[in-house]
Amino acid sequence: MRIPVAIQHWIVPVAVLAAWEGLGHAGLLPRYLSAPTLILAALWEVTSDGELVQALAASLYRVSIGFVLGTGAGVAVGLGAGLVPGVRHFFDPLVSFLYSIPKIAFLPVFLLLFGLGHASKISIIAFSCFFPVFIASRHAVLSVDKVLIWAAQNMGAGGPRMFFRVIMPAAAPQLFAGVRIGLAHAFVILFAAELIGSQGGLGTLISEGEDAARFDLMFAGIVTFAVLGFVSDRILMAIRRRVLRGQIIGTVEQLVR
Amino acid sequence: MMAGAIRRLSQWYSIPLVLLLWQLAVTSGLVESRLLPSLGRVWAALVEDMSSGALPYHTGVTFSRAALGFTLAAALGVPFAAAMARSATVRNLFEPIFFFGYPIPKIALFPVFTYVFGIGSPSKIAFTCLECLYPIVVTAYLAFRTIPNRMIWAAENMGASQQTILRRVTFPAALPGIFAGLRIALPIAIIVVVLTEMIGDSRGLGYYIAVSGTRFAFQNVYAAILVIGVCGFVLDRAMLSLRRKIVHWQRGETA
Repeated sequence: MRIPVAIQHWIVPVAVLAAWEGLGHAGLLPRYLSAPTLILAALWEVTSDGELVQALAASLYRVSIGFVLGTGAGVAVGLGAGLVPGVRHFFDPLVSFLYSIPKIAFLPVFLLLFGLGHASKISIIAFSCFFPVFIASRHAVLSVDKVLIWAAQNMGAGGPRMFFRVIMPAAAPQLFAGVRIGLAHAFVILFAAELIGSQGGLGTLISEGEDAARFDLMFAGIVTFAVLGFVSDRILMAIRRRVLRGQIIGTVEQLVR
Repeated sequence: MMAGAIRRLSQWYSIPLVLLLWQLAVTSGLVESRLLPSLGRVWAALVEDMSSGALPYHTGVTFSRAALGFTLAAALGVPFAAAMARSATVRNLFEPIFFFGYPIPKIALFPVFTYVFGIGSPSKIAFTCLECLYPIVVTAYLAFRTIPNRMIWAAENMGASQQTILRRVTFPAALPGIFAGLRIALPIAIIVVVLTEMIGDSRGLGYYIAVSGTRFAFQNVYAAILVIGVCGFVLDRAMLSLRRKIVHWQRGETA
């Protein structure tokens, strides 16, 4: 007898959670691995006393503003670099040097500049989102099929029309790939920045739980953070599917939905 | 020769230009020199900590952690991806873990790693391995799965054994994809190690940056950033030349 694929997909996660719960209750796991049901209880606790909502709001505020600023700048400058050789020659060396450096290394500078509050997190998130988005946008414009451009020119398409009707649609898939990497970077930086020096936010909730040896609270923060990152990515991908209607067919993406 | 030099200069002028602006901003007193130390002071800090052995030591710690985590992820990930591509059972069991788990910010789990593996090197190596595993497995898996069936059929038709097919057809065909995943994972390894060292450690470049920052010794922060940048660049080039050597039949799309 074959187990349906949909059920097979659930076997490993469910087995891990069940083993975690069972071993936890049998006292076989170290104390810092709170059982899943205890984590749920802690989640309920911080939700009902409003602590979670406050922390979530602070983190969400930082990550969304930082992401939007960094992505906006990355798309704008990246498209500029793709279209205008002068812009490209200015940014290429700087970006290729800075790209391989973990942006979090600049955190001390941003902390001194903007303090411990929202501004330092927002600016370092924007800073680190900029690079992958810039590279993807620049590359996307440059790799637009020349034949498409020639054809459009031949049919008399001018500047704005060429940009919105030919270049942008052709560049969009790669651009979204860069934005998705930027989003992932945003959450990594957010978490690290909140753990290293911060007031409020999910990172603080996690480190407070750790300091008080309330590991169920720590996990409640971790789970919330993970869900936040996951849901953001899903939303981005849903937007992408909507924008790229028809462009996804026939690519590897069909393999993995 | 001369024209080449001018072209090169016209394409690389922005780095010297930005450095010049930096220096001008500091010497004119426009920017607080504590925040933006002059290039001379950054260079002096770099030379001093290089010769005292502090920077080489922390660099060695950071990059050996990154290398270990990365190598571990590659050694586990590529065979696992091959198994996922080959066996429907393995695929059905683990595909959701990798494709669903991909966008989950795994950094949130780092505090748990420090409890399980301790605060020093092991937690950083294990966590780096986890972070690198995702891009390596996902890209390698897609590479294995998109191999045209006719290649395998042709090999079978010519009497190749399953083992020969894996070694001579499947693996080489997937190599470009495998390298693409490794190239994504390499900077991730460096980022993750530096970041986790900044969160809590007493060794490594991340620690060096965090400590210099709290001491307001920003010339040291920039010196460390410079070291990371140069090492990261060298590693990426090394990866590319390795790829060129191994995937020698596929040229042109290396950049």
